[in-house]
Amino acid sequence: MSLSGGVDTQWRDPARRALDRSVAAAELAARLPRLVTRAHEIAASVVYGLHGRRRAGVGETFWQYRPFASGEAAARIDWRRSARGDHLYVREREWEAAHNYYLWMDCSSSMGFSSSLASEDKLSRCLTLGLALADVLVRGGERVAALGFTPPASARNIVDRLASALHANADAAATQELPPELGLGSRARVVMISDFLSPPDELAARLKSYAAVGAGGALLMVIDPSEESFPFDGETLFLDTDGGEPFHAGDARQLRQAYAQRYAEHKRAIAAAAQGAGFVFLQHHTDRPAAEGALALTMSLEGVEARR
Amino acid sequence: MGFSFAAPAALIGLLTLPLIYWLLRVTPPRPREIYFPPTQILRELRPDAPTPSKTPWWLLALRLSLAAALVFAMAGPIWSPSSPLASQAGPTLLIIDDGWPSAPTWDRRLAAAGAVLDEATHAGSTVALAPLSGDAPPQMTDGGQARQRLQALRPQPYLPDRSVAAARLTEFVKAHPGARVVWISDGLAHDDKDAFARALKEAAEAGEKVETLGDEHVTLALAAPINNAKSLSVDVLRASLAGPAQARLSAHDNKGRTLGRVTVDFYDQLRATARFDLPIEVRNDATLLRIEGENSAGAVTLLDSQSTVKRVAIIAGGADDAQPLLSPLHYLEKALSPFSQTRMARQGAAEPALDLLSERPNVVVLADVSLPPGESFDALTKFVEEGGALVRFAGPRLANAADTLLPTRLRRNGRVLGGAMSWETPKSLTDFDSSGPFAGLPASKDVSVQRQVLAEPDPGLAAKTWARLDDGTPLVTAERRGKGMIVLFHVNADTSWSNLPISGLFVDMLKRIIDLSPQSAPASNVEDANAVQASNPDDARSFAPQRTLDGFGALGEPSPLAQPITAGFTGPARAEHPPGFYEAGDRVVAVQTLSANDTLKPFDFAAAGQALRPLQATRLYDFRTPLLALALVALIVDTLMSSLVSGKRGWRGFGAAAGVLTMIFVVLPHNNARAGNDSTSSIATHHREAALKARLAYVVSGDRQADDTARAGLEGLSLALAARTSFAPAEPAAVDPARDELAFYPMLYWPIVAGAPQPSAKTAAKVAAYMKQGGTIIFDTRDALMQRPGDPPTPEGQWLRDFSKNLDLPELEIAPHDHVITKTFYLLDNFVGRYVTGDTWVEALPPETKEGGEARPVRATDSVSAIVITSNDLAGAWAQDKSGQPMYPLTPGGARQREMALRGGVNLVMYTLTGNYKSDQVHVRDLLERLGQ
Repeated sequence: MSLSGGVDTQWRDPARRALDRSVAAAELAARLPRLVTRAHEIAASVVYGLHGRRRAGVGETFWQYRPFASGEAAARIDWRRSARGDHLYVREREWEAAHNYYLWMDCSSSMGFSSSLASEDKLSRCLTLGLALADVLVRGGERVAALGFTPPASARNIVDRLASALHANADAAATQELPPELGLGSRARVVMISDFLSPPDELAARLKSYAAVGAGGALLMVIDPSEESFPFDGETLFLDTDGGEPFHAGDARQLRQAYAQRYAEHKRAIAAAAQGAGFVFLQHHTDRPAAEGALALTMSLEGVEARR
Repeated sequence: MGFSFAAPAALIGLLTLPLIYWLLRVTPPRPREIYFPPTQILRELRPDAPTPSKTPWWLLALRLSLAAALVFAMAGPIWSPSSPLASQAGPTLLIIDDGWPSAPTWDRRLAAAGAVLDEATHAGSTVALAPLSGDAPPQMTDGGQARQRLQALRPQPYLPDRSVAAARLTEFVKAHPGARVVWISDGLAHDDKDAFARALKEAAEAGEKVETLGDEHVTLALAAPINNAKSLSVDVLRASLAGPAQARLSAHDNKGRTLGRVTVDFYDQLRATARFDLPIEVRNDATLLRIEGENSAGAVTLLDSQSTVKRVAIIAGGADDAQPLLSPLHYLEKALSPFSQTRMARQGAAEPALDLLSERPNVVVLADVSLPPGESFDALTKFVEEGGALVRFAGPRLANAADTLLPTRLRRNGRVLGGAMSWETPKSLTDFDSSGPFAGLPASKDVSVQRQVLAEPDPGLAAKTWARLDDGTPLVTAERRGKGMIVLFHVNADTSWSNLPISGLFVDMLKRIIDLSPQSAPASNVEDANAVQASNPDDARSFAPQRTLDGFGALGEPSPLAQPITAGFTGPARAEHPPGFYEAGDRVVAVQTLSANDTLKPFDFAAAGQALRPLQATRLYDFRTPLLALALVALIVDTLMSSLVSGKRGWRGFGAAAGVLTMIFVVLPHNNARAGNDSTSSIATHHREAALKARLAYVVSGDRQADDTARAGLEGLSLALAARTSFAPAEPAAVDPARDELAFYPMLYWPIVAGAPQPSAKTAAKVAAYMKQGGTIIFDTRDALMQRPGDPPTPEGQWLRDFSKNLDLPELEIAPHDHVITKTFYLLDNFVGRYVTGDTWVEALPPETKEGGEARPVRATDSVSAIVITSNDLAGAWAQDKSGQPMYPLTPGGARQREMALRGGVNLVMYTLTGNYKSDQVHVRDLLERLGQ
């Protein structure tokens, strides 16, 4: 027997919220302000590192001066530039087309899990990343919605809006293992943040239905390190967070190899499902900084834009 | 050799071991539980594993041994290594010598006694414990109670009477035939005329089983300490020639510090004399001599004040307690204390001479005291006639009122040398006569005399003169009178007439004089003591125990049994008079464990028909405690291991438990030492802050505005001081006299708020002490506008009057124009603040002396006025805000008034810091010039 397997796990059961609304509301309410603050911080750091779209648009970033064409509104003239010469100039800004981004943050019971290897549980990380992404997107001029809960909006306080929507719909969110099927517009982008422990087939079907209406987007798989490395030893009884029977594993170490293979397979299946539907597949480990995940997600969404 | 169980029936519990074994086999440890979201994935890998059918063998062994250890502990296993336990049903009488000779080997004696008790307990017989010092007849008790009493026994610092024990032994033998009698002896023959030996013999003849236990330790003791002018000596006794050939002695002072060590050789004698070769100053500090390595009261002897050197009583006329450096008492005490014991009159004594004479000094020193005919004069005359030495110092009082207790007639008034009005320079000393008492002392040329009293040039003056100045006038004269002598220094004993009192020569001269003085013997023999009692009713008083020795020879609080002794008590220590220091007033006498002529005689065991058996603790080893400890450890290990097997906590839990165990083992023994360290007080941070930088301070009144104003005012004044003078004070401090230490602040500003509660008497005493020690307080009633001449005092004024009743204030006056306080930095007429009408009161100066002839432009006392009272609200005028703007308007107003207020503040601070420096005549010319303008 080995004494090195000191990994501990915790599970904050989100389903418990269903039993007592006030407790659920209070718990989420206690947690959300912190997550919102962190989301703002992360969004700020991510925005700082991004580049513009290199196209004229309605953005705030300067793109180019062009000569004034008669018939344009006089208010568009950039007088400072025009005063330097005889011609009138219009100041153009970068192009920014607004998309509708639908965010789905998995609040199901398995997300309440964290191990001692991670800095926080998966749900916190998922919400942080989702809200930060919403903030970044709105700053970029996009419209963001919580899939199934709010209509797309481009408000400065989008983070607070999404947070309060999630708070209000805490019960419904806790039961969603998969993103809900909804009618999406053709310019819709769907961003799903989850641990994707549900069967890959069901997920693939859902993604297909999104792709059918022309929606694209990204999947971010939030992984607790212990789920990948399986650092358990000795006689162990595994308790399913999704309500299944406990699994008595005997000496857990003997399962490590097989589990790792099986988990990698599962991940590949999810990635295949995403790619089949034209979605980008990303992973994020909860022992890494959240900003890393947010940046990767933002960059990949730009990539989606560029591909189109 | 014997191994037995106290409760063998408990061993039946061992039968449960198989049951435990079986239970452990069928109930394996619980697996560790882990929440894991991808459990479904695991489940796809393989079906549930079967539960392990076995508990690991080592866990089984651990738990079985735990259970076994518990069962064995219950059974109470006892192992006795030496002899099979005496199984004797009769009662036992245990006689223990508990005088001081037992103390060095007390632990062994207790262990031996404990072994006897254990044997009796196991044999089921009753025990009577009879310590020699016990005042009640021995009680028959069971072993447990006897053991408790035994633990409470301590060796006594005296020799208990063994004849009492002999009578008890005889009684016991009569009452309990066939009993066992055990005597734990200290091996010394006591002063009981062999009564005990006879009783033992009779008991043995009556058929009792008599045993005598003792050890080979040879008792050592000290007796007859003598501290005379030559050396400090003490007699060392040993009980037999078989004892150690040498003894090592050490001398200690009253704080227990070792002053010196000496090794003494017995040279095959029972008695030897040890001499400590120490300087007399060090020797006089010795209060206790002890034989090193011998922890008994007998090996300690005490030195009281009577065994030390001469006692000197010092009386000064008009001594000023507030300024010790200006008091002759200070110089005399410093000069005399290295080689004599000085006594001073109590505060406020009506007749200090009578009080001090009752303490029977060898020498009386009078510093500038005139002796009008009266009781004191008669007593001093008698003192000199009977052999006392009287040393007098001149001074203004003596110079004007000569009496007959002088070696020579004096001329009226003194003469001043080298002063402002004298042409002559200060005189120095000539060499001392080679035949005089000061012969051989270096006539230090540094000594100069500015003033002296002159002797009338009577015939025989030269013979009386011990020391002269270089113009031939006598400096020290002396005369024998009766059995004693009178010595006169023609200067005074402080530094105002000459610098002799601060020279090393002064000490040497006094030492010669004290050595010359007759040794008026203290109450060393009964006759003398009686005579003393007759002549001095004071000495009939009793001496209360102050600190007494315990049996081990440690000084401590007196035992509750200790009773006062009367003067002249010389006898050896007894239960009611344990050895130690006894005091009455200032006098301390010592009661010794052994009287001077005591000897140590070994007990003749053969004559008593006894064979001495060595002290031996027949120890019984009780395995209960180690077994229980073992079970506890096994339990802890088991808890750790089982959590390990179920994989729950791993090393983390183990580490925590190991840490706790380590703490228990490591920290516990050090607890006491740690506690000791903690008790050492550390200086409070704010005290350190206050002490490190000089700063102004104000007294917190509780009124917010007054406090803020005071703070702002002092800040403004501090800025002005830093800008204009070389004194750069730190931030002003707020002080609460009830709580804070005041000693750090040279000056306190105290704004009076009528509504504030009066400080407590204790606080007032603290403030008064602060003023006495040289602090200055500026009371500001801030009510100059409200005051009208003739009106009743304002509330603030009344508050100050009430408060000052507790302060013992000197006479006050409105600061006169020539007071040094108006000259210390700026030349000022008065001290203004927000108002200008109020007066400033300071301590009254002494009336101007005619001595200097012409009026001096500046007057000052030698000290700083401890109190300044104003009503002009000084702080209000000094106060400025952060931008340097004044905070309050002035009445009548103007920048000039503000400037003058600041100048007044600067002067006040300079006055408290420099005192009378500006009254020095060095500045006279400048001052005169500027005043003349």
